[in-house]
Amino acid sequence: MTGARVGASPRRVGGAERVTGGQRYVADIHIPGELHVKLVTLPVARARIGAIDTSAAERVPGVRLIVTAADLPQPVPRFGPQFEDRPVLAVGETKYHGEPVAAVAADTRDAAEEAAGLVRVEHEELPAVFTLAAALDPAAPLVQDPALRPGDPLAGTNVLRVHRVGWGDVDAAAADLVVERRYAFPIVTHFAIEPHACLAAPDGDGIAVWSTIQHPNWLQRILAKLLGLPLAKVRVHAPDPGGGFGGKQHAKYEPLVALMALRADRPVRLVLTLEETFQAVRRAAAEVTVRTGLRADGTLAFQDVAADYLIGAYADIADRVVGKGSYVGAGPYRMPAARIVARSVLSHTVPSTAFRGFGNPQVNWAVESNLDEAALALGIDRLEIRLRNLARKGEAFIPWDTPADGDWAEATRRAADRIGWGTPAAPGRGRGIAVGIKSGPTTGLSYSTVRLLADGSVIVFAGTSDMGQGARTVFAQVAGDELGAPLDAVTVVMGDTAVVPYDQQTSASRSTVLMGNSVLAACREVQAKVRAMAARVHGVDEAAITVEHGVVRLPGRELPIRDVVAAGLGRLGGEVVGNGEMRKDADPGHPLQGAPAFFEFNCTAIEAAVDEETGDVTIVRHVTVSDVGKAINPLQVRMQDEGAAIQGLGHTLMEHYIYDLRGRVRNLGAIDYRIPTSMDLPLELHSEAVENADGPGPYGSKGMSEGALLCVAPAVAAAVRDACGAVIRDLPLSPERVWRALRERDAARAGREDAR
Amino acid sequence: MHTFAYARPATVAEALAILAEHGPDARVLAGGTDLVIRLRDGSLRPRVVVDIKRIAELGPGIRVADGRLVIAATTVMAEIAADERVRRDFTALAEAAAVVGSVQIRNRATLAGNVCNASPAADTAPSLLVYGAEVVAAGPAGVRRFPVDDLFVRSGVTTLAPAELVTAIELPIPAGRLGAAHARRTRRRGHDLASVTLAVAVDAAGVTRLAYGSVGPRPVLVVDESGVLADAAAPDAATAPAFERLFAAASPSPRSMRAGPEYRLAMLRVLGGRALRTAIARLAGE
Repeated sequence: MTGARVGASPRRVGGAERVTGGQRYVADIHIPGELHVKLVTLPVARARIGAIDTSAAERVPGVRLIVTAADLPQPVPRFGPQFEDRPVLAVGETKYHGEPVAAVAADTRDAAEEAAGLVRVEHEELPAVFTLAAALDPAAPLVQDPALRPGDPLAGTNVLRVHRVGWGDVDAAAADLVVERRYAFPIVTHFAIEPHACLAAPDGDGIAVWSTIQHPNWLQRILAKLLGLPLAKVRVHAPDPGGGFGGKQHAKYEPLVALMALRADRPVRLVLTLEETFQAVRRAAAEVTVRTGLRADGTLAFQDVAADYLIGAYADIADRVVGKGSYVGAGPYRMPAARIVARSVLSHTVPSTAFRGFGNPQVNWAVESNLDEAALALGIDRLEIRLRNLARKGEAFIPWDTPADGDWAEATRRAADRIGWGTPAAPGRGRGIAVGIKSGPTTGLSYSTVRLLADGSVIVFAGTSDMGQGARTVFAQVAGDELGAPLDAVTVVMGDTAVVPYDQQTSASRSTVLMGNSVLAACREVQAKVRAMAARVHGVDEAAITVEHGVVRLPGRELPIRDVVAAGLGRLGGEVVGNGEMRKDADPGHPLQGAPAFFEFNCTAIEAAVDEETGDVTIVRHVTVSDVGKAINPLQVRMQDEGAAIQGLGHTLMEHYIYDLRGRVRNLGAIDYRIPTSMDLPLELHSEAVENADGPGPYGSKGMSEGALLCVAPAVAAAVRDACGAVIRDLPLSPERVWRALRERDAARAGREDAR
Repeated sequence: MHTFAYARPATVAEALAILAEHGPDARVLAGGTDLVIRLRDGSLRPRVVVDIKRIAELGPGIRVADGRLVIAATTVMAEIAADERVRRDFTALAEAAAVVGSVQIRNRATLAGNVCNASPAADTAPSLLVYGAEVVAAGPAGVRRFPVDDLFVRSGVTTLAPAELVTAIELPIPAGRLGAAHARRTRRRGHDLASVTLAVAVDAAGVTRLAYGSVGPRPVLVVDESGVLADAAAPDAATAPAFERLFAAASPSPRSMRAGPEYRLAMLRVLGGRALRTAIARLAGE
């Protein structure tokens, strides 16, 4: 049972500020005396760095500091969330187009920019690898210095790690049909509307940093280690980001900016341009070969997946993306045998990082498309083949792991009903359906503090980053509901490591579940104290008192919690404080070092129209249904799924990096890298949630917001194929690609005619 | 952005004097939607930027004089797309002006700027070519008027002298009925640069004028006077060779990121055919 606020859709906390320009993003924050940083990069990908001449740059009026690797502590510090391989500035050689070799700090941005252009860097372009094929060539130059991986048998290759997971005997599994195909997923970038930004200032005997970071506590840890400071002397301010999508999870240039601030003894700021952001964050490309074995009746016999992910020049969190993203690669199906081999392949390209879906969309694209291929070959309906194989709730679809935690068939049927599956589509139109699954967080640690003040209002301290997903509103709803405060009497404080208790991270759609449970626990502690207070004030045995949803129930009467607190606190006032802790420890025996707290399941159904002359795809109807357990805020749930669906249409229809032969991104920025605009949206977009209150979060909620992106591509490609017979296994489905596929279809048809 | 001087002349003469003084170091600013991007990325580094928006004699935006529609150099796309006279007599131009950039860009970008920028992908260029538009340019030697077809050389390069200023684009108001249409191909429906942009006009005498851009270094005008293309009833065997001849001058770059040459050439024909059918239908008053 929940109170009135949970399950309602109150106005988003901070929403009006976001859309009226009232919110202060990091780029809006200025500190008197601050210097502006511009990064110095080379017009090549991999190059040996020679002499750096800064003399002309130093003469630009307003230039205060120029740093190269030689000016940094030696050896140049390296950092990273998984491997400490990324240097603060390029050391010896650049490893990708856009890697900074120096940085200029000046009084104005223009001066910094001008001076950066005057830094002369002698360099010699070196052989490099930009594609999976080139990186995996035994003769390929190594991206990473093998000395960074002592004792690693793979250190002499560009394969950072190989992730293997499986069960049953794939090679011995009997199948009536085996379908094997190869699928490709392009490099895409997050394109958060707020630019990545960082500001650092000496702060007494420590440092204060403002960053667009999603994980302020993680950044605090990285900076403390790198600067040799106690955690308590590194204060990270993390104002609500304007979109993160995973790209803002981990430190990029914060260590450089912090070192420059300490060296200059002045505040220093860096706001990336969109072009620079393209060279800072992106999703891993992938080539996935899938072999699916089935019985004649459509029952799955085995799934054999080989996925190569093209990660960048430094690991960032990319290898975790590969391991976790491929882990559920066999799909949400009852699967007698599975073998998944995923490789993180280093290359001289922009380091890839976390991005909504976290490695799953790449494999999902391949596995779901391959299942359609099998259904067509077997003459089985594409919805039917999924329903026949979907794991039932409670079924251990990965033998040792968290069992299926939702009614996935229900979500699938809802999507199918909404798209009109089984009814004929209009001429020139086709339908596709696909399901997606992603593991939730495998570890977690979220502390929170809830303060119930003397007038019944509430302050929640929670270290989640609200980057647009609406975490502030959800926590306010939970605390308001539990403590009986109207939402306008609840304040949520986030984004300051000196004030807010530790939170591990804002990722993997975890916050409603993990921080939500932490906030709930803090509220429960407050309620327990209120109960003791009520017992004392009213002379009643504690056991006879209950406190829930803001109401104190005493034998024979009910009192609002605020009346009890006012009486209990007395003339001195004060407050009732509760602390929450939600811990999900690592499990070293688990392939992911921890079982997922929940699964995100989604079914996407598409009706598309294809213009056969131009290859244009129109999404006539897009249905996305996610299993969310319980929608604490239904409107926010819908908005999250709509956003994910549209973002998914980006990599499905138009987004991809275009590299030149020398490894330079040709379409940096908004002119030639296209994302969907309001005019590119589906003609109809329906988002629905399945709510069976079967999740581990507050009131049975599960994490959500990535699910609706997972299987957009296979559903759209299936609809395109259904509409016109064009088969495409290489994203995006640009008009030109669809047009080519139609020419191939015509050629194949003509070939068949000739053969008759 | 590098430092430059900013001049805001009040008269054409003043503007011309500044242009003459600085030569290639001066750049004209009207809408700025092309210029400012290049100032920011550093690919243009003029010493002086000459803002012509306050030159009173360049206005009013759109007027009729001597059987011509005169569009002043400072007239923006949004104004052109909304103008009743343009919509009625120069439908393809109105359609082209309505798809340049986004709403914000159309509120700033000028027709003269679009033409002077000489992008092969300029969306208004094909319609100006089919309507036989003329460029009015003021220079040290006085005012000259020449067909817009004589302006374009290649991307970013025109036949204008450094000290010349385009003051207006003029379109002769057609004596008889015309059917015309603009069509383009982009990578998405939202604002984008064209990978093919074209305009067609057919008249009652059966003359078909077709111009296309983004498939070569400059926009190209071709005229078919055989009458066969304008005849909706003509058999395919008759129209196909004439139709094919229209595209002989297309030479899309293989280096473009926006679309491959093969696709562009195919789309030129698809869009050309569609626009032609629309133009014929419009001529017939459908």
